[in-house]
Amino acid sequence: MPEIRVTPLGAGQDVGRSCILVSIAGKNVMLDCGMHMGFSDDRRFPDFSYITRSGRLTDFLDCVIISHFHLDHCGALPYFSEMVGYDGPIYMTQPTQAICPILLEDYRKIAVDKKVVEITKHIHDNRALRYVELLPLSGTVQEPQSTSNAFTPPLTHWLLSPCILIPSACETPGTSPLMLVDDELEIKAYYAGHVLGAAMFQIKVGSESVVYTGDYNMTPDRHLGAAWIDKCRPNLLITESTYATTIRDSKRCRERDFLKKVHETVERGGKVLIPVFALGRAQELCILLETFWERMDLKAPIYFSTGLTEKANHYYKLFIPWTNQKIRKTFVQRNMFEFKHVKAFDRAFADSPGPMVVFATPGMLHAGQSLQIFRKWAGNEKNMVIMPGYCVQGTVGHKILSGQRKLEMEGRQVLEVKMQVEYMSFSAHADAKGIMQLVGQAEPENVLLVHGEAKKMEFLKQKIEQEFRVSCYMPANGETVTLPTSPSIPVGISLGLLKRELAQGLLPDSKKPRLLHGTLIMKDSNFRLVSSEQALKELGLAEHQLRFTCRVHLHDTRKEQETAVRVYSHLKSVLKDHCVQHLPDGSVTVESILIQAAAHSEDPGTKVLLVSWTYQDEELGSYLTSLLKKGLPQAS
Amino acid sequence: MWGGTCTEDSAWASTPAAGKWHLPVYQDFHAFDLSGATRVLEWIGDKGILVAGYESLKKNEILHLILPLRLSVKENQGLFPERDFKVRHGGFSDRSVFDLKYVPDTRLLVTSGLPGCYLQVWQVAEDSDVIKAVSTIDVHEKEGRLWPRMAIFSSAAPGVLHGARLSSLKVVDLESQKTTYSSGISDDELLSSLQVLDADTFAFCCTSGRLGLVDTRQKWTPSENFRPGSGSAGGRWCAEAGGRGPGPSIASLGSDGQLCLLDPRDLCQPVSLVQCPVSMPSPDPELLRVTWAPGLDNCLAISGFDGTVQVYDVTSWGGMGRQVEPLFTHKGHIFLDGNGMDTAPLVTTHTWHPCKPRTLLSAASDASLHVWDWVDLHAAR
Repeated sequence: MPEIRVTPLGAGQDVGRSCILVSIAGKNVMLDCGMHMGFSDDRRFPDFSYITRSGRLTDFLDCVIISHFHLDHCGALPYFSEMVGYDGPIYMTQPTQAICPILLEDYRKIAVDKKVVEITKHIHDNRALRYVELLPLSGTVQEPQSTSNAFTPPLTHWLLSPCILIPSACETPGTSPLMLVDDELEIKAYYAGHVLGAAMFQIKVGSESVVYTGDYNMTPDRHLGAAWIDKCRPNLLITESTYATTIRDSKRCRERDFLKKVHETVERGGKVLIPVFALGRAQELCILLETFWERMDLKAPIYFSTGLTEKANHYYKLFIPWTNQKIRKTFVQRNMFEFKHVKAFDRAFADSPGPMVVFATPGMLHAGQSLQIFRKWAGNEKNMVIMPGYCVQGTVGHKILSGQRKLEMEGRQVLEVKMQVEYMSFSAHADAKGIMQLVGQAEPENVLLVHGEAKKMEFLKQKIEQEFRVSCYMPANGETVTLPTSPSIPVGISLGLLKRELAQGLLPDSKKPRLLHGTLIMKDSNFRLVSSEQALKELGLAEHQLRFTCRVHLHDTRKEQETAVRVYSHLKSVLKDHCVQHLPDGSVTVESILIQAAAHSEDPGTKVLLVSWTYQDEELGSYLTSLLKKGLPQAS
Repeated sequence: MWGGTCTEDSAWASTPAAGKWHLPVYQDFHAFDLSGATRVLEWIGDKGILVAGYESLKKNEILHLILPLRLSVKENQGLFPERDFKVRHGGFSDRSVFDLKYVPDTRLLVTSGLPGCYLQVWQVAEDSDVIKAVSTIDVHEKEGRLWPRMAIFSSAAPGVLHGARLSSLKVVDLESQKTTYSSGISDDELLSSLQVLDADTFAFCCTSGRLGLVDTRQKWTPSENFRPGSGSAGGRWCAEAGGRGPGPSIASLGSDGQLCLLDPRDLCQPVSLVQCPVSMPSPDPELLRVTWAPGLDNCLAISGFDGTVQVYDVTSWGGMGRQVEPLFTHKGHIFLDGNGMDTAPLVTTHTWHPCKPRTLLSAASDASLHVWDWVDLHAAR
């Protein structure tokens, strides 16, 4: 039976570490290759042994598709290619390819300790790639030590070749053009919102298709549009259920909360530190503050640390086609990413008196500039630090969010934290409502949810099943879901065969099934239905005919010619749908079946009917025989 | 147009004390969109609420929502306190749900709605997220349009007080389904609200404004307010008992915007009768709600006239007929209505947070659900 098989990989049921294996019509695709941010050992990677057991990985997988640059969707890619050995095609959008390495580099700095293990591996084209083994923090934060083996090649070199870029799905609603992985497997990207370059993917082989959503957002952002998909009616829609049981607070209220906190701090003369990742939310918050500052006529300075300005804004300008309509329009008149109130930060400014707001990397306060600024400002209760996202255990960000107010710094120095610590999440995921909207748009036959505990999602499952009349699956990690499909196989019929059928006699009745004899030729992925003669000719074989003959004994004292006439009249009246003929030589034909009457050699009162038919007419032949065995009606 | 905290706040709410325009008038504000509008906001503990849909001719959802972590007391917020509701349990109802009561210390809920005059009992699953229908309680009411009001007598053997009319008031034991109390009267006045006050007493309010306190240990002899023909206030009324602090503890609200305060010891002599500045009459008097603040003295809230919730300080209200001004008006449902509907949304219900003194939840006909904590600017001065 044709089927689609889906297996989410990874150990445990936590959020993060997105990695899904899909088998569709003989093709194997890996969707995302994420890392779990909360672990620092092997548990942070998906369980690839599921695939590697069956031989060489690159042979098994037709391609890998990465949905967006968040580490829980692409963070395990270097490990996968370097350590596990995959060197096949990897598909991602341009912004994803450009931004992934930056986040990985950001993350690498978290776990640097005195022991830095480096694994160098040469790949087939002899480019040296380095993969730095990440180790947990031991309570102190250190700047990465540069050694002779330090990670020096340009960041983009961690990516394997070939890495195929998906042309931008920039318009909202937007789709990329169809991309052919090979002559059977096609993929198409849809705009997903969420973060720059995020996409949802449709994987299609013949008439079977699967849509994978990755992370998406159904409400437009300040700098991104909303996700959109057409009524593509895939066999299966795979989406994350992490936020499916959430009802999100409105964006306005979240922004209000953020602005209120910033405003209050600045009003009392305090300083606000916002640690951010190199990219992502920082731009959104800048736009927000810029607009607010303008409306409220505020004077306190807003700074962007230089690292951010260089990398991030450069990328955003580059990928303006990926942002929403409004931003793009503004870009023409005035570059939205060139701010009026937001200026580049200089280290010296941190010591200036008076209120200010500073965006600085890295996002978890684990190193670098944001940590430096934090140390200067932590002692003053008028100041505030706003953590805008998830912080990995061991980082200063995590510690202060958990309530720690005395931190041990290098050299046994203790930092007392008196500044206000706030957490504000701006992560833009689709919630329960958004998921229902997307399912409604795509109209899949089946829905599969990953990253949830099945027991806790019974209600959601029922909701989806009832609302859309589909089946909803919730496999655990490592569990395979098998979906039967009914693929449609197009078969070409030869014109000669069609014409011959028409010539047979009666025209086909559109309401009744009509039996057609032909030969199905399967060559490569081509199916043709031709006449037997044609097939035999192509194969270079001689035709053989199979004929059956049956003797029916009838009691009839008349001459065989008269018996034949009786048979003819009888069959003509009974078999109204068939062509019954009385030939000059006395035989009767029903279509291509021949009936001849002969006298019995020993008994003059008995006539023998020879009923003869070809293999193709077996059904009719048998029917005729039984009919004749019942005898003929008395002659009038 | 987006922008300032305060310009937004001043559009979302109004308070006479907000002189300086840049003073924020909300301590906190959360706005949510449910998949279906609710007329019900029932607490489970102090961290969860129940909502239920009331659309006819479709499956409605009953949801058990956990409040955003942000609203918990600071220590319990956890590392990453989110601002979102979590759907903890859900179930489906074929009927519209107009009232829902949680049976304390159990996993049971009772709903009342239309069509069909019966109460539905539900169970909130322990090991999954499903709310399942388990049994029904028959209510004998001939008139199909009426749905029985309910209140729960919580005890070791919980009972459901219900009735659409005074004559059909009954208490049914939830487990045995036996009737343990009956009003036993023939007066068939329509009820608008029921409220259990303690193990033996309950309060009723009729649509006419007639209200009384009943002791279930005795034959029907409630202490009531008299409504002689001439003094009868028109319109439709509802009531709630429970004011904190000295002063009257029963409030009665009429569809013409009249608010009546009563002392339970003498229901015949209302302490005060005021006219609230509301658009009147209420477009849907069944949605009228008046609630006392559990954490503030002499403070109540009303809704059901339009898209607002009004909070009043009733201290030193006395006498009849005076005009009053709300301490605070929540206009968020009107302001945040982005649906472009022709009619402005109507607040369907509201409730106070059991622990946080100035936090309220309000729901409207456009399926919005707000959680807001208003700033008492009088006190701030």
